[in-house]
Amino acid sequence: MKGTYLGEFEELVLLTVGALHPEAYGVAIMDEIEKEAGRSVNISAIHSALRRLDEKGFVKSELGGATTERGGRSKRIFELTAFGKKALDEAQAQRLKLYNRIQDISFGN
Amino acid sequence: MNRDRGHSPPKWAIRFLRFYCRKEFLDEIEGDLLEIFDRVAHNEGKNRAKIGFIWNTIRFFKWSNIKKTTRFNSNNFTMTGHNLKIAGRILWRHKMNTLLNVIGIAVGIACFVQISLFVNQELSFDKFHENGDQIYRVWGREDYGEGQEFFYTNTPIPLEKALEENIPEITTAIQYDAPSFLVGDGENRINERIAVASPEFFEVFSFPLLAGNTQQPLADRNSIVLSEAYATKYFGNKEAVGESITVQIGEEKRTFMVSAIVRDMPKNTGFQFNMMISNKNGEEVYSKEAMEAWFNIQPETYILLNKNASITDAESKLPTMIKTALGDRVEEGQYQLGFQPLADIHLNADYPVGIQPVGNPKYVYVLGTIGILVLLIACINYTTLSIGQSLKRAKEVGVRKVVGAQKWGLINQYMSESILISFIALFIGLLFAYLTLPVFNELAETNLVMPLNLLSISLYMLLALLIGIATGVYPAFVLSNLKLINVIRGTQPPNGGRYWLRKSLLVFQLLLTVFLISSTLIMKKQLNYMQNSDLGYQREAMVSMRLPADPAANGLAAGINSGFENGLLIKSQLAQNPQISNISMVNHVFGSTGWTTLGFKATDNTFKQFTLLIVDPYYLSSFGIKINEGRDFDPALDQDKREGVIINKAAAEFFGLEKPIGDKLPGERFGQHSIIGVTEDFNFASLHSEIGPLVIVQNSGLIFQGVSDFSLSDSPIPKLIFKYNGGSLLEVKSILEKVWSSTFPNEELRFDFIDERLRLQYQEEGRVNKIIGIATALSITIASLGLLGLTILLVNTKVKEIGIRKILGASPSTIFRMLFKDISLQLLIAIALSVPLTLYLMQMWLADFAYRVNIGVDMFLFSAVLAFGLTLLVISYHAVRAAKSNPVNALRLND
Repeated sequence: MKGTYLGEFEELVLLTVGALHPEAYGVAIMDEIEKEAGRSVNISAIHSALRRLDEKGFVKSELGGATTERGGRSKRIFELTAFGKKALDEAQAQRLKLYNRIQDISFGN
Repeated sequence: MNRDRGHSPPKWAIRFLRFYCRKEFLDEIEGDLLEIFDRVAHNEGKNRAKIGFIWNTIRFFKWSNIKKTTRFNSNNFTMTGHNLKIAGRILWRHKMNTLLNVIGIAVGIACFVQISLFVNQELSFDKFHENGDQIYRVWGREDYGEGQEFFYTNTPIPLEKALEENIPEITTAIQYDAPSFLVGDGENRINERIAVASPEFFEVFSFPLLAGNTQQPLADRNSIVLSEAYATKYFGNKEAVGESITVQIGEEKRTFMVSAIVRDMPKNTGFQFNMMISNKNGEEVYSKEAMEAWFNIQPETYILLNKNASITDAESKLPTMIKTALGDRVEEGQYQLGFQPLADIHLNADYPVGIQPVGNPKYVYVLGTIGILVLLIACINYTTLSIGQSLKRAKEVGVRKVVGAQKWGLINQYMSESILISFIALFIGLLFAYLTLPVFNELAETNLVMPLNLLSISLYMLLALLIGIATGVYPAFVLSNLKLINVIRGTQPPNGGRYWLRKSLLVFQLLLTVFLISSTLIMKKQLNYMQNSDLGYQREAMVSMRLPADPAANGLAAGINSGFENGLLIKSQLAQNPQISNISMVNHVFGSTGWTTLGFKATDNTFKQFTLLIVDPYYLSSFGIKINEGRDFDPALDQDKREGVIINKAAAEFFGLEKPIGDKLPGERFGQHSIIGVTEDFNFASLHSEIGPLVIVQNSGLIFQGVSDFSLSDSPIPKLIFKYNGGSLLEVKSILEKVWSSTFPNEELRFDFIDERLRLQYQEEGRVNKIIGIATALSITIASLGLLGLTILLVNTKVKEIGIRKILGASPSTIFRMLFKDISLQLLIAIALSVPLTLYLMQMWLADFAYRVNIGVDMFLFSAVLAFGLTLLVISYHAVRAAKSNPVNALRLND
């Protein structure tokens, strides 16, 4: 499965891309991850993860319009592909399957 | 957000981002960064935003974001990449061969690097001074005919002024001396060497002053400059500048103020001082008379030449200067001065030793040569192995040629292989050298460090490149010259020339190895001989202890006598200890150089020089020195003490005394005396020189009054000698300390064992021998690696032959013989050739010693046996392997 493996951070980014649709670009994803997961991530790490996801075919991207906020630079807007959605579904299903097998007994001390 | 109000990120950071970032990513990255910048600037302030921006541009500096330049996208570049890839694959496929080659070259490089560090240190002595090429040391030569010739690099004190006044080419002349003084106040006084130098010393030489008065540290006669190490030694962590130190100069205890701190002397300078005072104290340090005396030599004098002035011009003015200074006291040509370049001092053994230590240039060359030899052996190793391997690669070459490879392309390809190997080897070799440097330092008693700066690294890279080219060039040409038609047809007629070269390279390599083995053995033998030979006296467990002289004693003879008197005080106390025997006193001890040498005009009008030893009547018996004729001093006889003279056999011969007993020394002005005994020749100096004439007396006065020349550099103050029969070193120390502190509370106790001092005499030889020993062990290793590789090849090319022979019933020993025959002939030639080479070079080395061992046949036999043994071992390993393998496998091979 080399190449299509979904890392933990990649999965988080992928989920955020899906959640932010259609406004998913670098800074927005960074902010969302910080807000939702409480993880402060460097922007360069987001870019790297997005590029990897793109290479694996989980997301596709296109350059969006320029805004004055960004000194006239355009954004690259990311979007889940069908394959990416499927990968998320699979990950979710696998997790649920295992989760459901946890017996309903009380844990802890 | 408006950015025109100064809220903009640092320009250079943006420029940097635009510089490295790939076009297709730039827009989004820059946009994101600007967005974050604006937000942070708004929320947390401009500065935080700027720092964040810079940090982020650095975080984006990753391989995936960096522009891929197209500049190198040429055919050559691609081919180099391809060549390296192929080279890597081929090396990987022949793992065993690669391993042998890499280890061989790596060991060679490690050895070469370490030896070159040592050689470099020796060669770089005093070459770091800013004005180094304008600095010269002055030498003097007096020649009065009839062998009365004196050559020295210590100079008279008034010379400094005379040079400055008479020779306009000289900017400054300075003097430098390093006598010993008692330092400290009260009970714990220590004998320290303190440099005495002209105030301009630090202007001429580049020794950086770190603290205090860095402009004129020696301007005041009460100033003292300390090295960093000594500042810590005397004042700990306290600021040393401004503190005071008490030094006894002459009879006076003087207080010196620390005026400046100088950085610790580097290893590669002859000026090894830790304390320095101004020579404005010259009158007290030397004497009032010495300040004007032209025939009293003490300090070294250095001159700093004007920029652009020529040394020959300066030299041509010396005779006039001598005439002005000395007037009629010397005749034309009797007194001569000259200049020696500063950088020349350390390794020029033609000039006498002054104050600076002089190394032996021969050893530096010997070691440098050995370093190169070991590297050469490693390179030859690789070349022979790759020529051998080239046979197997013939098909590859054929295919490449058919596809259209040009000759240069092929050469490049095979060169890439050898260069790749040499770079891998360089890396491993440097690592190895670095890790084993402490071991090397300990064995060779050096203190080397491996510099890791740009210069040395690029030199190492260059070395690897050279090795790569040198080792690869021949195999590359052999391979690229293969005739295409022969290769493809599969008939590769063996090219006789190539085998010839390969074989002679092997012979040469073996020759060098055998040479190194036998040289090490011979050097070892000579060293053992020197350290264990019978010197003519008994030296085991003999301790020598310095005696204090009365500081008030006026003149040399009085100083010596007061030392003897002080010795008597201690002697009676030590004599009570049962572990101490053979007590006596003498003014020079074995193992020290610079004994009192005297010269006089003999009755036959020749000038004769001899060594003088002043002793007490127990000296000869306590060292067990044998009397050849006559008798020893009798302690009971007062006449012996006053008039008795004992000479050695060499002196009897030198003075032409046929019946020495009862005779006199052949000089007219000696005091009343009579020769009472002649000793056997015992080796009082080192085995480097022959035993010279020696005169032994108790009363020095009778000799001193009859001589005209006098020189000595060892301390003439008597030492107490005794034999210590106990076992523990600590014990002898405590015994001595007890006796000493009760007798001479203000003096420092100094004692040592005589065998230890003697060992130090041959320290340098020992050091060199150790380094050569290591180099030899390494070269043997490399050579056996080479043999291993060669036999692998040999066996591989003969796989089918061995298979067929085995099927026809050959025994393992037949196969062994078949393999051995080929190499043993070359080994025999190598051994035969190495004998004359070794003989010649070793005899040159041994010529340095007056007493030397014979280069016996045993040395060569031993190294031959060793070389053969190694070869046998390596070959038998393969023979057994080949013999055990199933011949079917060998014959089924389809290539």
